[in-house]
Amino acid sequence: MNEAALLQNSLLVGAALFCIGLVGFLSRRNMIVMFLCAEMMLQGVSVSLVAWGRWHNNWDGQVFVIFILTVAACEAALALALVLMLFQRRDNLDIAAWDELRESNLPAYVDHELPAVAEITPHWPHLTPAGLEPKADVEEETHRSHV
Amino acid sequence: MTGATSAIFEPLCRCFLLAADAAEAATPAAPPTGWNRVIAPIVQLHPLAWGLILAGLALWLMLPRGSAKGRAVGAVLGIVALGLLGSRLLPLGLWSSNVVFWILSAVTVAAAACTVTFRSPVYCAVWFAMTLTGTAGIFMVQGAQFLAVATIVVYAGAILVTFLFVLMLAHPKGDAYYDRVSWEALLGAAAGTVLLAILSVTIGKLGLNQVQGPAEATLQQDVLVPDHVARLGAELFGRHLIAVEVAGTLLLIALVGATAIVSAQRGQQAAEAKHQAEGAQTNLKKTRSSQAGGGEKTQLQESAR
Repeated sequence: MNEAALLQNSLLVGAALFCIGLVGFLSRRNMIVMFLCAEMMLQGVSVSLVAWGRWHNNWDGQVFVIFILTVAACEAALALALVLMLFQRRDNLDIAAWDELRESNLPAYVDHELPAVAEITPHWPHLTPAGLEPKADVEEETHRSHV
Repeated sequence: MTGATSAIFEPLCRCFLLAADAAEAATPAAPPTGWNRVIAPIVQLHPLAWGLILAGLALWLMLPRGSAKGRAVGAVLGIVALGLLGSRLLPLGLWSSNVVFWILSAVTVAAAACTVTFRSPVYCAVWFAMTLTGTAGIFMVQGAQFLAVATIVVYAGAILVTFLFVLMLAHPKGDAYYDRVSWEALLGAAAGTVLLAILSVTIGKLGLNQVQGPAEATLQQDVLVPDHVARLGAELFGRHLIAVEVAGTLLLIALVGATAIVSAQRGQQAAEAKHQAEGAQTNLKKTRSSQAGGGEKTQLQESAR
């Protein structure tokens, strides 16, 4: 295998992961998604570290990634406990709910009006009737849990 | 499905690459005039530049901006950008290893883009699991077998499940308004694109396509040894023993800290509830002094409890 090409390709993939994570961290407002994006930046760095470790023919890159895994686990535990606490205080996951932590000379963030969400009507397939007609479950037909 | 897409797109990006090389090689016969003067420099841009511009545009279009307009366009632009950027990957040697690496990196980057752009945080988490799987595959290509398995077990198995647990605890029903908008989507996408441009140009300037890497035989003795896990373990618990101890302590501290944060919250909630109950009690005393109604008093006492 062409080692130089493998190194360059892995570095490019790692850089792409890091930058996509950066975009998400800068622009998303959900605290949990922001943490997911931070984890993605860690992944990008891990790919680069393993590639450099192979290039230099030593284990340091892989050992470093093992420590990154450990620290990411700690970070996730603490951050999610904090997110849960913040959620219980404000009742939503919006990071803008905490804009009172901004510097005192900056204006408050004003949310612009959002267009209403279009009502999604469930589209059920029409099957040819066969056998006895079962009893209709109204609850099942009208309600669909939303993820 | 993604594999088939990549199989289609690999020849396609070879074509892009060839076209770009041809455009670089061709010398303009006559100085461009009129519209050509504007269009020619844009068309003759490097495929890397095109890929970066399209990737930034695609991210901007796909990020939540209040409405779903332009998402399909963004997805198409993103696939084209993926092809263009993928055409910059160097051939690894064997045809099969090229295809495997290309598919893995395409899956990883596409899933990462989906993680960032999907509205529902649950979908974001599931797409992130896909990114992790792709990363594990890239680790496997690089010969880091233990890390590939550890990424799936620790990240996808433990950390991501914790994320999903918290989402189930804290996620409101339906699409929250803060999931349908972003801060400055255009500026964010532009910042990411500029950083990616700087990084890829820097990586290109390393001149790795002219350097001879370490020989296969030396790698076989060290990083690619058959008893991979044993050597990695020896390295980890030999040279890095103190760091392992520190990491263990860090895990313990994080465990205690997370428990403390959550239980402090519980204690505070209990204190607030007690405070409210006391307030109700004082109100009750006031009511008792002013009114003499016995039935109402017991009702209030019940509500205070």
